[in-house]
Amino acid sequence: MISLDQIIRLIFFPPIFITIVFPGLIALLIVIVFLIWLERKIAAKVQLRYGPLYILKPLGGVIQTVADLLRYLFAEVIIPRRADKFSFIMAPILSFGFAFIPIVALPISSKYFAFKSDLSLLVVLALLTIAPIFILIIGWASDNKFSFIGSLREGYMIMAYEVPLFLSVLAMAILYNTLDIIEIVETQSKWVWGILLNPIAAFVFLICTFMMTARFPFEISEAEQEIVMGPFTEYTGIIFGLCMSYSYIKLYILSLLFAYLFLGGWYPIVWPFTLNPIMPGIITLIKGLIVMIIGIFLRSVYPRFRVDQTLRIGWEGMFVLSIVALILSFSLVILVK
Amino acid sequence: MIPKPSTIKRHLEAIITGLKYIFVKNRLTLRYPEMVQLLSENYRGMIKYYMDRCISCTLCARICPADAIKMYTVGENKLPGINYMRCIFCGFCVDICPKEALEFTNIHDLAYYTREEQIQKPIEFSKGPPKPIFKKEPMKIVVKLDKSRGLKYERT
Repeated sequence: MISLDQIIRLIFFPPIFITIVFPGLIALLIVIVFLIWLERKIAAKVQLRYGPLYILKPLGGVIQTVADLLRYLFAEVIIPRRADKFSFIMAPILSFGFAFIPIVALPISSKYFAFKSDLSLLVVLALLTIAPIFILIIGWASDNKFSFIGSLREGYMIMAYEVPLFLSVLAMAILYNTLDIIEIVETQSKWVWGILLNPIAAFVFLICTFMMTARFPFEISEAEQEIVMGPFTEYTGIIFGLCMSYSYIKLYILSLLFAYLFLGGWYPIVWPFTLNPIMPGIITLIKGLIVMIIGIFLRSVYPRFRVDQTLRIGWEGMFVLSIVALILSFSLVILVK
Repeated sequence: MIPKPSTIKRHLEAIITGLKYIFVKNRLTLRYPEMVQLLSENYRGMIKYYMDRCISCTLCARICPADAIKMYTVGENKLPGINYMRCIFCGFCVDICPKEALEFTNIHDLAYYTREEQIQKPIEFSKGPPKPIFKKEPMKIVVKLDKSRGLKYERT
């Protein structure tokens, strides 16, 4: 017979709590529901409309996304006759999975984490780079010209955003002299926030985050007005739901990473957050949410760049800036020593 | 690629404009069942017919560009009936009527269950359109011209 105490201890066992509750599945679902609602609401507000309103009216239609999700759940999943059946079904699931796995390496506080590694920052980034490969597979497996064009566009962009992103992270790693997220945050608590130490790296990281997660103005692979829904054109039902939440998961993880790297993570810890080792996570989540809200706000302001413009921004703008950030970090390190 | 200062300025302008619009409280959507726009007296809504004034001149049926008005024989007289499936609310019939037997109302929000209900014979036509029923008393809104925003809604 399992006692209540054992169940509670099992839930609060770090590897399970982090993957299932926070920052894992449950927190992720709530954040995505909130983000999609907020995205539609902000875009509506800027365009002088109301946006979602009638589902739970006193709160302005907050659970509209839950209703959408239910609709996806009960919609029929149609698999095109000419599609490669196995990869057509497996690729979205795997891309969702690989976008989700890096959450394991995100610590909640210095005393509460799933696993401590010297390379946890690298683990997060390395796992995030696997997911786009499955977008390419989706484009091939769907046997649809829009999917194909969409995944090709994604393929063009992968290099343009990943190299500057990694270089900006490298600049911060040089500055903190570690690749462990916990130590990075601890270092920032002793000094100043990373965004003040190296604002160029923060800027590059932010822009590359928006490129990576298909936010406006870099929403090129999914361009609705041009290629229907990009790689995900042929998908229906809950698999389409997976595809849609894929970019939001990446945005969620990268925003949390931004909070860890540049905004001081779970510091400053003030009174109510000192009670429990899990509570500091709320501070990280709030900081991450601010970054996410900036990302979704851009939708209401910007049109879409062309592929060549984005590639130029990636290679001629962000890449050069990330090298400048590297030099800045090196010079800072030398100055301090 | 180093962006020009003017490019950066335009990016900032776009973002600031977007931020400004988030906090400005003036939407162009009229939430219809809860808010109802007060219409002017000259509004071309559904048409009311006064049977006692009618002199059966058939001018309304002749001028109608959409063939919506048709004359029906009622007893010894010929009186007009209207087909709302065809009517384009142009107002020619109201203008041409020499005895002012046709008149615009400012009711436009009506729905019918069947097509046949929309073809109104003289007796039904003379009853005029019914008033719309709201669950709650709607908020009355007046549309005003605003120099900075274009249209502006105000409560009465």
